[in-house]
Amino acid sequence: MATPAALPPLPFNPSRVRSYLLRLPLFTRLVVLVIIVFWLLELQKVWSVIKWGSLIPDEIGIGSMYRLNTYPFIHMGFFHAFLNLVALTPLVERFEAEHGTLTAVALFLGPLSTFPAGIYILIEKLLLHSNTAVVGASVWVFLLLGSEAIKTFKSNPYFSLGSYKIPTWTSPLFACVFVSILVPNTSFLGHLCAILIGYLFGLGYLKVFVPPEKILRWIEGKLNLLGRLPHYISVDQKTYGRYGVLPTANTMGERGTPMSYLGSSQPAIRKLRGNPYFLFVHLPHILSFLCVLAGVFWLLLLPLNDYSRQTYISENALLPGQVHAYFSGSEQNIFRGYKRELEGLLPNGPPGEGQERNDVEFTPDISDKIQSVLRASGLKVATQNYEYTSAGITHQGQNVYSIIQAPRGDATEAIVLVTAWKTVDGELNLNGVTLALTLARYFKRWSLWSKDIIFLITPDSKSGTQAWIDAYHDMQPPSVQPLPLKSGALQGGLVVEYPFDHRFESLHIVYDGVNGQLPNLDLINTAVSIAGGQMGIGANLQEMWDHDDSYEARLQTILRGMAKQGFGYATGAHSSFMPYHIDAITLQTKGDGWQDEMALGRTVESLCRSLNNLLEHLHQSFFFYLLMQTNRFVSIGTYLPSAMLIAGNFTIMAIALWLRTGYYMGPKANPSVDAGASQSEEKLKDRAATPQDKGERKAVNVDPKSDTNGIIERQLALPLSFVVGLHLLGLIPLFIFNNLSHKYFTTATYTFAVVDLVLPLCLAVLLTRGFTPKPQQYLLMKSFSLLLLGLFLSTLAILNFSLSFMIGLLCTPLSFVNRISPHSRAPLRYALAFMGLVFLNLLSPPVALLGGCWYTGVSVETVLTQAAFGWDVWGMWTQVVVWCVWWPAWVIGCALLGFSIF
Amino acid sequence: MIVLSFPFLFLLVAFSSLTYATSDYHESLVLQPLPQSSLLASFNFRSNASQSSFDERNYRHFPRALGQILQHAHTEELHLRFTTGRWDAESWGSRPWNGVKEGNTGVELWAWIDATDDQEAFAKWITLTQSLSGLFCASLNFIDSTRTTRPVASFAPTGDHSVSSNLHLLHGTLPGEVVCTENLTPFLKLLPCKGKAGVASLLDGHKLFDASWQSMSVDIRRVCSRPDDCLVQIEQTVDIVLDLERSKRPRDNPIPRPVSNEQLVCDTSKPYHGEDTCYPLEKTSEGGWSLSEIFGRTVSGVCPLGDSQSAEETICLRVPHERGVAISDGAVEIRKPDGFTRCYTLQPSSAFDLVMPEQEATTHVPLDEPVLRAERTIVGHGVERGGMRIIFDNPSDTDAVEFMYFETLPWFLRPYVHTLQATTTGRDGVRRQVPSSQFIKETFYRPAIDRERGTQLELALSVPAASIVTLTYHFEKAILRYTEYPPDANRGFNVAPAVIKLGGHENPIYIRTTSLLLPLPTPDFSMPYNVIILTSTVIALAFGSIFNLLVRRFVSVEEAAALNSQSLKGRLAGKVIAFRDRIKGKSSKVE
Repeated sequence: MATPAALPPLPFNPSRVRSYLLRLPLFTRLVVLVIIVFWLLELQKVWSVIKWGSLIPDEIGIGSMYRLNTYPFIHMGFFHAFLNLVALTPLVERFEAEHGTLTAVALFLGPLSTFPAGIYILIEKLLLHSNTAVVGASVWVFLLLGSEAIKTFKSNPYFSLGSYKIPTWTSPLFACVFVSILVPNTSFLGHLCAILIGYLFGLGYLKVFVPPEKILRWIEGKLNLLGRLPHYISVDQKTYGRYGVLPTANTMGERGTPMSYLGSSQPAIRKLRGNPYFLFVHLPHILSFLCVLAGVFWLLLLPLNDYSRQTYISENALLPGQVHAYFSGSEQNIFRGYKRELEGLLPNGPPGEGQERNDVEFTPDISDKIQSVLRASGLKVATQNYEYTSAGITHQGQNVYSIIQAPRGDATEAIVLVTAWKTVDGELNLNGVTLALTLARYFKRWSLWSKDIIFLITPDSKSGTQAWIDAYHDMQPPSVQPLPLKSGALQGGLVVEYPFDHRFESLHIVYDGVNGQLPNLDLINTAVSIAGGQMGIGANLQEMWDHDDSYEARLQTILRGMAKQGFGYATGAHSSFMPYHIDAITLQTKGDGWQDEMALGRTVESLCRSLNNLLEHLHQSFFFYLLMQTNRFVSIGTYLPSAMLIAGNFTIMAIALWLRTGYYMGPKANPSVDAGASQSEEKLKDRAATPQDKGERKAVNVDPKSDTNGIIERQLALPLSFVVGLHLLGLIPLFIFNNLSHKYFTTATYTFAVVDLVLPLCLAVLLTRGFTPKPQQYLLMKSFSLLLLGLFLSTLAILNFSLSFMIGLLCTPLSFVNRISPHSRAPLRYALAFMGLVFLNLLSPPVALLGGCWYTGVSVETVLTQAAFGWDVWGMWTQVVVWCVWWPAWVIGCALLGFSIF
Repeated sequence: MIVLSFPFLFLLVAFSSLTYATSDYHESLVLQPLPQSSLLASFNFRSNASQSSFDERNYRHFPRALGQILQHAHTEELHLRFTTGRWDAESWGSRPWNGVKEGNTGVELWAWIDATDDQEAFAKWITLTQSLSGLFCASLNFIDSTRTTRPVASFAPTGDHSVSSNLHLLHGTLPGEVVCTENLTPFLKLLPCKGKAGVASLLDGHKLFDASWQSMSVDIRRVCSRPDDCLVQIEQTVDIVLDLERSKRPRDNPIPRPVSNEQLVCDTSKPYHGEDTCYPLEKTSEGGWSLSEIFGRTVSGVCPLGDSQSAEETICLRVPHERGVAISDGAVEIRKPDGFTRCYTLQPSSAFDLVMPEQEATTHVPLDEPVLRAERTIVGHGVERGGMRIIFDNPSDTDAVEFMYFETLPWFLRPYVHTLQATTTGRDGVRRQVPSSQFIKETFYRPAIDRERGTQLELALSVPAASIVTLTYHFEKAILRYTEYPPDANRGFNVAPAVIKLGGHENPIYIRTTSLLLPLPTPDFSMPYNVIILTSTVIALAFGSIFNLLVRRFVSVEEAAALNSQSLKGRLAGKVIAFRDRIKGKSSKVE
């Protein structure tokens, strides 16, 4: 029989826990039940249970004496209740087992809750003169700990730590101190009171309150409590101590009812555990599906207030908005002068609106003028020519940059201020460039700069900064000139875009870098704080122009951020700085309002002042985060489980398949549903004969059919070479799509969609005809493929969470795609395989690309040209993930379906 | 080959060095306007003490504090430099004093110490740095073995030393040291007139440290006219480049606010010029300035401790002769025949001011071109590896330049010397890979030992005419131990500038590159902080119990019973016992 004989026993034995829970005595059960009922009652908002029942010193009067008894049952939310229950249950159970149910009832409803409460109220009200309300069963926890500690002290007075002997009775005090340090909002005083009463109880001073045994016995005898109440613990046990005499008849008798009541589920669980088909086939599917669900659900939880955090400035040196910005007044005249001067150089005079405006190129005349203006302002000026060729398109231009050398500085640190002649959307950024020139002249007059300030003016936003920053670190390709003038380590970058002539309303902060890298959150926070707090200009993120801070808006912001991060392209001139660990953002002006270029200039001035304050490289705040609003974010610790769960679903399935292939599944080896079910039933019958209380392993060992034959050898050569070969094959489309001329991209995509349709079927035919693989090998193929996928995606989740999440979601069906058993009926098999293939083909990389382009209305050629440019210039890795991680896994999934046809 | 730059400074030095035998104290100030409305002010102070009186500890003008340190540390020659900012050779030409009187960014110190062996020399060196650290309020005590080098060819003694003495040259530098007023005050205290009279009275911390570039130096050496007639000479210089615009701003309103519309200087020829549009015009006239404006005070007479000659030609100004200059009454102007220099002899007791009115500039004082441009940067990215790139640009079209290149690297920067490569770029802009041996004539390399000493690299190089030579090498960054990180670990670690020495021992020219910032792999320090917090909690708990044990009074059972007894007698007895205990406890503690 296919029994999991080789499975190791679980270190955590659920059956033991279950039996413990089933054996809980009566009063303990009642206490747990009441606590849960009160917690459930708290969920409604009409009647505040906490207000009603908590121990509030000022509220205690004759009419509200009930509070002295109710407060231990009431808790402040789920975690409070849960933790207290976990701590309380074993202690009360022990107490009850030792003292009997009646005594426990008498003591816990009487002195053991009112005494601590009384002492607490006395101290709180009369000594401390405050009014702190307390609730929760922790009072009993500490009380019982106290009495237990006294007992321990009697038998074992000290535990020695080195040469010190620490009396054991102090242990609850330690616990109390640790709890008050580690858990916020705990009542140290309340716990102390409880420990005090616990000590008194343990020392026997409270014996007077224990009801006399005689009376208890009488009550018990009269009412026949032992016979009527289940789980009742009689007074007799008290006499014999804990576990002293556990009359078997007694316990067995009282257990009759619950066993029959709860026992119905027990055989069902046993049945599932003994069922290998369930363990190896159903359970992984369920687990994988749950992982995916949990991953998606987790992401949807993130915008809630409980899971996100308010942003804050972590680096104290930044001091955003603490200085007055003086850029105003006559500087505006100079701004206009520079602007008219530049406009004079445009071929058609002052630019109008629309497309004509955006066609103005960065001519050598303009470059010369910018250089002369910067030189006249007393800056060091240099130029750099660059040229890139990607997808058959040549991008070339000349960067102009100049440096304000920090007075008394020694060229160790610098800040970059970038303005591109063309914004990232291809608009003419005349105002931005003019603003940079005006600011350069203005900044030169200040003596407070501790870092050099570099003004970089590039012809475009995509390649210019990349060429410059590469050359700054001497990493440039031969087609890019080295920089003749340099400064120190770059500490931060700001990109300014003001692509229209009218006034603006708000600032749009763009922060995504190449490959989903993000700048330090402090930089964004500083920009938001300066724009909003100091200048009174609103700030937006991710093109969310009217963000009402609702759940939907937050989620949308997160999703937009994730899309940009996942695709990993440069969203602005700032993106090129990120791979060099230089934090940079773009400030874009948006809308039609009443803010003018001077307001933007003051924002930039204030930002530069903040960056100038930096003593260290930006490192304090987060580098991995998702922003949902200008002032709310989730950090990596909170969001990472989402992508990890999705990546984990593949790993779970892969491991399950690996285990499954190691077992011989009986004569009908194929995991068809019928065979499996019949097997398990047969097995059940065997099982029914074995005694119930014997361990699982024993039962398995007795089973005569599951001997060493249950383990079979795996044949790895074919599956391994198939999976590795396909991953290597991914390099071909990677090469093609990065080196093709842009004209052929659309054709290539459609061709590839067709190739994807045919390739898995061809592979299926080849393999089935050529090698006639065993059923086990199909499972191994899937196992290896999913193992690699899980491995890659979980690693990628740390580097680029969004990409891993997106690819993981698109690959989810691959976990559930199997070769359909040839034993099922042929028409059904063909229909299923065909439908599966159609579905998977809808999720193939080229079709997903086509679908995405159709949905957003961008042409395929544009997207692929951009992608090839990203690969050639920015060093973008998204394609590698698509072609070497996603695509091979997808092909194997399709091939598995193909195998079921042939 | 070597062009004498700032010849006037040298003339002055030559002139004064002729007179050193007769004069015990001499001071001078040279002012030279530089392009971009800057002003170079070179202060020079020199005192002598005869060797015999110095040995007898009879210091007259020689500062006693320094003299004692030198004698204690057996230092024969000492050079100390405090420098901030960078000299803009492109605009300002070659360096003052040919770079001899300036140092690395931060603090640089080198000295010749008389000792029998290396170990003794190092011990004396440590004594010297510790003492100087206290004297100059600088972190010179941080010059430990990892920052100390023994240059072979880059420095030569400038004084006359007896052949028999066993001198050791040690060199240390602190590139991260911030030079500020607390270094200036002890510097001025070394002067005989303490900055109260003479040109030193101009040295005000606020103005001095607002300069664009600034260098203070102390040189002590022995000068012998005959083998048995020697002088111990201390020469102090302060060279500053002031930004005139900035220095002229009133102290109560230092913020460069935008000027009012009327004060804007606009190009009115532009067609769009109007009320609200202005294309700023470059200033062609030289701005006017006066000593009292830029230094905030006037020269208060002459230091009376100097000899009669020192009052002559104390202050010199380097402007064309046709430039109008107004001076205070009583001072005498002497024009030098070179057409650009005029010197002033001051009245001993009256204040001296010098006013340059605003004037259209017609001729300029010619500036010397620097003989070599050098640039040193760290390239590459990431925290594991990096590269160093050093560019030497020889602007001369005819002459090759030969020089010594000297750099010290901290031990945590591990260079791979086998990766040392050279490329050369001609005026045509074509880069050629050439074997580095073509430029490197000689190499002295002393590898680093972790946590003990840094790398020392000295190269004798030659750069052909009209070409740019680029040297590159790769390095690896070491991972430091947790406690070795400074508090601002994420700023990066300072790497000392390289020193370039051109020319022979007679008239050397020194050039120093800018200092560098090296980012090292840095741990997330918040994790150790969490550990520290937890540890502190545990320690606090332990302390609580131990404290309890220490202060609790232990009594015998009878005493306790007496204490517990409720009777008045028992209580009294208890009090008495407690009192006795206290007295006993005290006396036993005393024992």
